Amino acid sequence: MIQVRDIRKSFDGQPVLKGINLDIPDNATAVILGPSGQGKTVFIKTLVRLIHPDSGSIHYDGEDILRMHAKEWQHFQNNIAFVFQNSALFDFLDVQENLNLFLQMHKSMTARQCQQEVARAINFVGLDEDVLDKFPEELSGGMRKRVAIARAMIKRPKYIFYDEPTTGLDQNNAEKVSELINMLKHEISATSIIVTHDIKLMRDVSDQVALLREGTISFVGGKDEISAQTLDFLYETRGEYDI
Amino acid sequence: MAKKQSEQFFMRLGDRTISFFTTVYEIAVLLVQSIRAVPSVWFYRRQLLEQLYHFSVKTLPIAAVIAVFIGLGATVQGTYQSSELLARYVIVNVIFKTTIIELCPIVLSLVLAGKLGASLAAEIGSMKISEQIEALETMSLDPVGFLVLPRMIAGLLMLPVITIFANFLALFSSFFMSVVVTDWISPQEFVSGLEMDFKPFEMYFGNWIKPAVYGFIIALVGSHFGLKTTGGAKGVGNASTNAVVVSAVFIVIFDYYLGKLLL
Repeated sequence: MIQVRDIRKSFDGQPVLKGINLDIPDNATAVILGPSGQGKTVFIKTLVRLIHPDSGSIHYDGEDILRMHAKEWQHFQNNIAFVFQNSALFDFLDVQENLNLFLQMHKSMTARQCQQEVARAINFVGLDEDVLDKFPEELSGGMRKRVAIARAMIKRPKYIFYDEPTTGLDQNNAEKVSELINMLKHEISATSIIVTHDIKLMRDVSDQVALLREGTISFVGGKDEISAQTLDFLYETRGEYDI
Repeated sequence: MAKKQSEQFFMRLGDRTISFFTTVYEIAVLLVQSIRAVPSVWFYRRQLLEQLYHFSVKTLPIAAVIAVFIGLGATVQGTYQSSELLARYVIVNVIFKTTIIELCPIVLSLVLAGKLGASLAAEIGSMKISEQIEALETMSLDPVGFLVLPRMIAGLLMLPVITIFANFLALFSSFFMSVVVTDWISPQEFVSGLEMDFKPFEMYFGNWIKPAVYGFIIALVGSHFGLKTTGGAKGVGNASTNAVVVSAVFIVIFDYYLGKLLL
């Protein structure tokens, strides 16, 4: 279980996160929903210590990750995978090497075992093995996102974080990504944490929804508990959402 | 009006001074982090091999061109300045020592600060703005160990190798110009000039110590500006420019102090 308590973060005196409290149960898919510029990316990066909060605590199964020593944290990171908004594939490595990197560096596997694991991951995300020799710049946005999900999957993490996984994708690719998030959750029994502004994605994948507005969580509950009025309030619209 | 202008001038000067010392401090911190990452160098051996290749084989053609023309240029100047009062082998000795101890190491390092420093700052900088550095962290990989340490070791080891190669070429081109092309001096006198007042330490100094320090500076400063990149393409451009300028300034400062302390 992830327990977030009173997380605050400011940049140049400008508060972005204003005391966030949130509990995310194990094996759930939690979606943190909110419009752009509300601190979603800052929040999700804070959950994996890519950004250090000014105050507050973040416990994973009772362990406060903000108080872990560097070595302890490096070891703990093996439980965590992160899918970045722009995929963040290493552009000096081909797809095979991108997927292999974690296995080579952290697992005592033979080259053959690594290859099998990579092939399994790439097939899981619905790509042909032909892409393994390609560099990220040769792939479409949708393919890059799927490779990023394969890279996250290869770690077999306990927690998997997605930063705006459908941003910049057409409807078809966005649906495939939603499908993959659901499939991956069952494949590796991970807790998934997603930040997004995409209401359709929230409807397709979430077990728990938290609404983030102006640096605070204004609502936590199931997706069925969210009313059209709540979404109108969140996105500052009028009668746009039909739930 | 004049008072306001002078106030602004001193404020700008103050900001620049603070910014300079902040940069020096941050580079020192990166150096400490890199030294701390040294025990895990075997873990990053693949990256180290790639960087050794990048710092050596890929810089050989430019080093060769520069070395040949340094040798030719120094010889042309030396022969032009020669007079009947000095034996020609003495002038060869001056050309030889100037080239080995000063010209080749510093000119080569300044050019490589442009080539390697800019490229590695841009490479790390674009990784930074496209979240690839953060991706490394989430894969339990230390960005300093993965990116900076291999480049620093490659700079430390490979600049001396390139400089030795360049010094040989410069010497050969000097011989070719003064003995073969212009017949200004005989081969025997040329060799006498090289042997005159020969001090092995000067060879170590010009071929090993100086280039190793400069290679280290190029890698460290380039990596620092790469890791500090913010913004988009403009940020990457600024990082490259700063890496080249600061490396060049550090190289000439260290050139003076190394000579003063060790010779």
